[in-house]
Amino acid sequence: MAAQKSPGAGSSLRTFYIVLAVVAVGGLAALGYAVLGGGGEAATEPVELEGVASARQLYELAKPEVLGDPSTPVKIVEFGDFQCPGCRSFAMQIKPVLKERFVDTGKAHFVYYDFPLMEIHPHAFLAARAARCAADQGRYWDYHDLVFARQSMWSYSRTAPIGTFTEYAKELGLDSGAFESCLKSDAHADVVTANRRLGEELRIAATPTLIVNNRRVDALSLNAIVEAIEASLREGDA
Amino acid sequence: MSSVAPMEVRAEESSASSPPVNRMTIALLSLVGVFISTYLLLHKLGVVGTLVCGTGSCDTVQASPWAVFLGVPVPAWGVAGYGLLLGVSLAGLRPGLWGNRRLGLVLVVLGAGAFGFSAYLTGIEAFVIRAWCRWCVASAVIATLIFISTLFELIRPGRR
Repeated sequence: MAAQKSPGAGSSLRTFYIVLAVVAVGGLAALGYAVLGGGGEAATEPVELEGVASARQLYELAKPEVLGDPSTPVKIVEFGDFQCPGCRSFAMQIKPVLKERFVDTGKAHFVYYDFPLMEIHPHAFLAARAARCAADQGRYWDYHDLVFARQSMWSYSRTAPIGTFTEYAKELGLDSGAFESCLKSDAHADVVTANRRLGEELRIAATPTLIVNNRRVDALSLNAIVEAIEASLREGDA
Repeated sequence: MSSVAPMEVRAEESSASSPPVNRMTIALLSLVGVFISTYLLLHKLGVVGTLVCGTGSCDTVQASPWAVFLGVPVPAWGVAGYGLLLGVSLAGLRPGLWGNRRLGLVLVVLGAGAFGFSAYLTGIEAFVIRAWCRWCVASAVIATLIFISTLFELIRPGRR
């Protein structure tokens, strides 16, 4: 025998369908917003450099990050790409040795220019900007090291890893709101672009490229780098 | 083929006098799950550029090798699973099917599957990737609530 529908059954179902419809409309609206405009406007590739007509102007706009005392006799310049595995090896294995032996002892300083190879590393430009957003809060080198250390975690992302880079900023104790605002803008895009173009002017073709006092050295050979630095120090003494 | 006699089926289908609240809950939660999974799927497909993540490492989790299961992106499994739960629970809210035991059992099986899969993914986040995606955690919570809601299918009286 069929049971009777309770008097409130129709009403509760109607209420349910109304709530379901509201959730559906809200969900569709949120998805639409995410697809059409929720992603921010982070600069992820080189920008037009207005008013830069000469190599001199380019050199002035290009801005490296410096580790150590710039007045030390040996200048170790790297043109690097945050998404390049070779640059990671240099940053993780060789740079710490150089820092301990030559930078911390006041014999050399280290200079880093961005050279994002956008053709093969789609997130390299954003990573370079992220590091400079960290530099705004005085933590460039900590961020530089962390991004290289975690390279495999963000390198294969199919979309711009803004969330991951912001998370790294939080991990370092930076003001994540300010960092995210910086990253989701075109801040430092001109400097990173200028650094890259300066590298092109200098005929840099690969990363990491290392220059020790105007002498190019194999960046992945610690012995070759140490020899070049020591030779430069001897020349300075002479 | 069903071995249940027609009279028995009619008795099952008509035994409830009000729409089952647990199926309403399952339908609502599943709809939210469909939207979360769709959002993550659109991100995986490159349609949505940046995940709104707040705290957590959504990009890290989404870019990991565990974001694909049996060759299919995990969010696509979510869309399919939650979509199925939504469809079955809505079917179970049709007046003639409020007391249908077989639909109830299908919901329990689907709910258990969603819960088990979410537990597996949460374990991967916690112990392998060591990164958390807020949306994945939200999905896991929803799957758990759905599973709990499906258990009422087993204890509701007057079902036979």
